[in-house]
Amino acid sequence: MAGIKLATPAAKPEEYKNVFVFLETREDKLVRPALEMIGVGKRIADKVGEKLYCLLLGGNIKKEAKEAVSYGCDVVLGAESPDLSVYRTLPYSKIISDFVKQEKPNIFLIPATRNGRDLASRIAVSCEAGVTADCTELDIEQDTRILSANRPTYGESMLAEILCKRHRPQMATARAGIFPVPDKVQSPKGDIRINDVKIEKALLRKEILDFKKKNAVDLTAAKVVVSGGMGLGKADGFKLIGELADEIGGVVGSTRPAADMGWITRDHQVGQTGQTVRPRLYIAAGISGKIQHIMGMKNSETIIAINTDPNAEIIKYSDFVINADLYKAIPPLISSVKEEKKKLLAANKK
Amino acid sequence: MVLEIIVMVKQVPDSQEVVIDPVTMNLNRSLTRNVTNSADENALEAALRIKDKVGANVTMISMGPPQAETTMIECLARGADRAILASDRFFGGADTYPTGLTLAATISKLGKFDIIFAGEESSDSSTGHVGPGVAEFLNIDQITYASSVEYEDGYVTAERELEDGTETVKVPTPVLVTVLLNSNSPRMQTLRRKIDAVKKGMEMWDHDKIGLQPEWVGVRGSPTIVRKMRPIKERERAAKKIEIDNIGDLVRELYEKNILKLEEE
Ligand SMILES: Cc1cc2nc3c(=O)[nH]c(=O)nc-3n(C[C@H](O)[C@H](O)[C@H](O)COP(=O)(O)OP(=O)(O)OC[C@H]3O[C@@H](n4cnc5c(N)ncnc54)[C@H](O)[C@@H]3O)c2cc1C
Repeated sequence: MAGIKLATPAAKPEEYKNVFVFLETREDKLVRPALEMIGVGKRIADKVGEKLYCLLLGGNIKKEAKEAVSYGCDVVLGAESPDLSVYRTLPYSKIISDFVKQEKPNIFLIPATRNGRDLASRIAVSCEAGVTADCTELDIEQDTRILSANRPTYGESMLAEILCKRHRPQMATARAGIFPVPDKVQSPKGDIRINDVKIEKALLRKEILDFKKKNAVDLTAAKVVVSGGMGLGKADGFKLIGELADEIGGVVGSTRPAADMGWITRDHQVGQTGQTVRPRLYIAAGISGKIQHIMGMKNSETIIAINTDPNAEIIKYSDFVINADLYKAIPPLISSVKEEKKKLLAANKK
Repeated sequence: MVLEIIVMVKQVPDSQEVVIDPVTMNLNRSLTRNVTNSADENALEAALRIKDKVGANVTMISMGPPQAETTMIECLARGADRAILASDRFFGGADTYPTGLTLAATISKLGKFDIIFAGEESSDSSTGHVGPGVAEFLNIDQITYASSVEYEDGYVTAERELEDGTETVKVPTPVLVTVLLNSNSPRMQTLRRKIDAVKKGMEMWDHDKIGLQPEWVGVRGSPTIVRKMRPIKERERAAKKIEIDNIGDLVRELYEKNILKLEEE
């Protein structure tokens, strides 16, 4: 059987130590989920007194390496080449697998973004390791140094705790938007080891012909989100949602059917197949609260529901409920905000 | 030489009808209907469109218990040429590693292949890891999250939908492509094709036929284990009722508690 390697031999766990995280970049800039990985990786490394290594690949990444250190990374292992300035499966998985085989980390975390998922199981197979996908909780057992990787399953109704006892590294991908971006450290000191590399031609057979950037709305970083659903009844309803969002410094979100109707573009969609948000305030107007939507917003600190149905499922997830027609509730909400801001501004001036 | 296309499919519990046993916390399979994973239907359609255009042999492969036959026959009835189910009691309980191994070994047993298609992920375990795992086992390139796929003269060109935009890539075959859910409309089965499909039937391959040792596959070949399952409990929320007349008070409370701030960044 040419080309296929077979059984997964157990590793010797005592030979493996430290925590690795893959830092995804776009145009040589760290993406937000990469910063989230630094936070969770650091917490796990600290708990067992080990170091956090960040893997950084790209065309020109020295600045980003410093940035990673400023968030608390102990060592940056980097590979630099003009051929790495865009993500491509084969060179990335080869270089990262080589780092893993050489450095033998106990834990290796990758963001569960599309390119992160493209990469994770290739590395796992290449390194004969186990990998748990799309985790929402990650922790380490102090004495055994075994990773507790928790992922939602059965349509987000259950949480499965998954362990990998005999193989190393223990790999997991982590859902974006769940783990907070860490604070910057006081006096960062990290070791930056970036090598220029030359990539074999055979790994570069994939041509990237084009990239059309969309003006995607980044809901994941928003502090306030105002979302509208089918209860708006018409595309025009999003004007009112937008007005409220503007007034309170928020970003507009939507449910999937509202996006399917073409009332708003898909990049506003919150939920399982949209974005995961965790703002300070989430307002759900005309949204019933089906699990696929809830999944994307339930970690918001405060949730306000505006719904005509007193039994809507969203209410179970809400801190405040305005049981009314949203077209009757939102205008007074906007005017109250205006009034309150005026008062606060006046008080500040004094 | 005719193009050889493989499509990886999976039979999954119908996500609308998942029933969890309250005692074992496991899926109650006797109460759950099985269906073809939706994204895999899009993968098959992508393969059949290439077959329509340039001609190809389309072989379905799957790993699972014998009842996956209904899915295999359905795919034959849509226009696939051959269906192989890797089925063996040793394959049970596999995580993504031995699943990828079993499918990759089945594919390499088949011989030459040009394009392997799979759905972006399965609706039941939603890892998206099996496709790339197979590509790594077979040591070939991959294109994941494709929304459109074209084949011409030994090259696959595809659009990949990423979080921040759409990437167009071109790769020489052999290549594995995972296809996004709803990226095309799968064709219907026809009655004539259905009759032919039932007549043709699927092949069942066990570990011996594929050339795998029992300890490489299934539960024994899986690096990960599920330690426990618990229901996801949500934080209790007050659900305090606010009347329209009291909205002013609510807004004041939001600012007092710093839930809303004057200077939002
Ligand atoms: C695989 C899969 C993935 C999915 N992914 C997502 C996802 O990512 N995000 C997502 O949102 N959904 C997703 N869905 C869809 C999800 O199941 C629900 O269909 C959707 O969330 C419901 O949207 P809604 O609340 O806008 O509409 P509805 O369920 O129709 O609810 C409308 C609500 O508005 C209320 N209402 C009506 N009129 C008014 C009014 N005038 N004022 C105030 N309230 C009013 C009604 O009482 C009702 O509660 C997914 C589904 C599947 C199968």
